[in-house]
Amino acid sequence: MDFNNRLLRALSPADQDVLRPHLRWSELERGTVLVSPNEPITHVWFPESGLTSIIAMAGSDQGIEVGLAGRDGLVGMPLLLDADRTPHRIFIQVSGAAYSIDGTLFRTLLDDHAGIRKLLLRYVQAYSTQTTYTALSNGMHTVEERLARWLLMSHDRQDDDEIPLTHDFLALMLGVRRPSVTIALHSLEGLGFIKATRGLIVVRKREELEEFAGAGYGVPEAEYERLIGQLR
Amino acid sequence: MPHFFLHIDDGTQRIEDEEGSELPSVEAAREEALGSARQLWAAAILRQQDIGSRRFVIASGNGDVADIDDALPRSLLDRLKMQSRP
Repeated sequence: MDFNNRLLRALSPADQDVLRPHLRWSELERGTVLVSPNEPITHVWFPESGLTSIIAMAGSDQGIEVGLAGRDGLVGMPLLLDADRTPHRIFIQVSGAAYSIDGTLFRTLLDDHAGIRKLLLRYVQAYSTQTTYTALSNGMHTVEERLARWLLMSHDRQDDDEIPLTHDFLALMLGVRRPSVTIALHSLEGLGFIKATRGLIVVRKREELEEFAGAGYGVPEAEYERLIGQLR
Repeated sequence: MPHFFLHIDDGTQRIEDEEGSELPSVEAAREEALGSARQLWAAAILRQQDIGSRRFVIASGNGDVADIDDALPRSLLDRLKMQSRP
C-alpha cells in the first residue's frame, strides 16, 4: 500500500503501520457529500486524488467555499479537535479516491500515537493558514485574481494540467454569479495563462498565473511545506 | 427546466457562455443577467473601468431571446463617468 496522500506519506513507517490495517479504499464521485452540516462525522478521509471542498453555508442551499483539500490533507478535521460535527458542508468537487478510517477508531488511535496526532495537528495549522488567506483574497482581490489563486491551488493537488470544472462550480467556489466566472476565465485566457473549454480548464503558464494571483497565493503553500513537507 | 445561456457582447466580440444554466423562465434568466451585470459593474467601478459597451445576450436553446442593458440606472452611470474624468 503506497500512499499518494501527503499526510500519510509524511508519517513515520511505524505510524503508517498503525493506520494501514484500518484504511479502506474508495472511489469518490463528484458531488458526493462526505460531511453534512451539524451531523455526526462518521469517518476520516485521506484523499489520494481528486478535490474536496469545504463550504460555509448561508442558509440551506447557498454558501461559499472556505477551504480546499485534496491529496495534501484530510476530511473530518473536527474529529482531530475533539468535536464530532461541523456547520460546514464538505463534498467531492473533482472525482477521485480516498482512504477512509472509522471515526471512533481514529480518535482512539490519536490518543495512543503522538506521532500521528502531532503531524495531523500541524496540518490543521497549515489548513487554517489556507482559510485565512482565502479570507484575505475574498476581501482584497478581484475575481480574476481569486480565480487565478483557486486554479493554482487546484493545480497543486493534481498531477496533470487539466482541471475538470464547470463554471457553476467555480461560481460557488468564488462566491460570485456565473457570468463573473465566464468573464474572469476569458481574461485569464486572453493573457495566455489558461485555456478554458466546456467543463475543462488547462493551465498553460503556471509561473505567470502565480505572479498574477499576487499575495493570495504562496504563503499558505510555504507554510504547508514548512510544517508537513512537499505539497505538489 | 429550460436551459439559458448568458452571452456577453462588448460590441466587437461575444464572450460565449458555453455551459449555460437551468432557469425556470426567460424572466428568471433576465433577473440572473441583471444581478450579474450589477456584480460586473461593481468590480468595474472599483477599477475605474467603463464596461458600458457590454450587453448580456440571453439565449435559449432556440436562439437569442433578449438583450439586457439596464442593470444600473443610466443617470448613475453618467454620474460615475463624470467623476472618473480628470
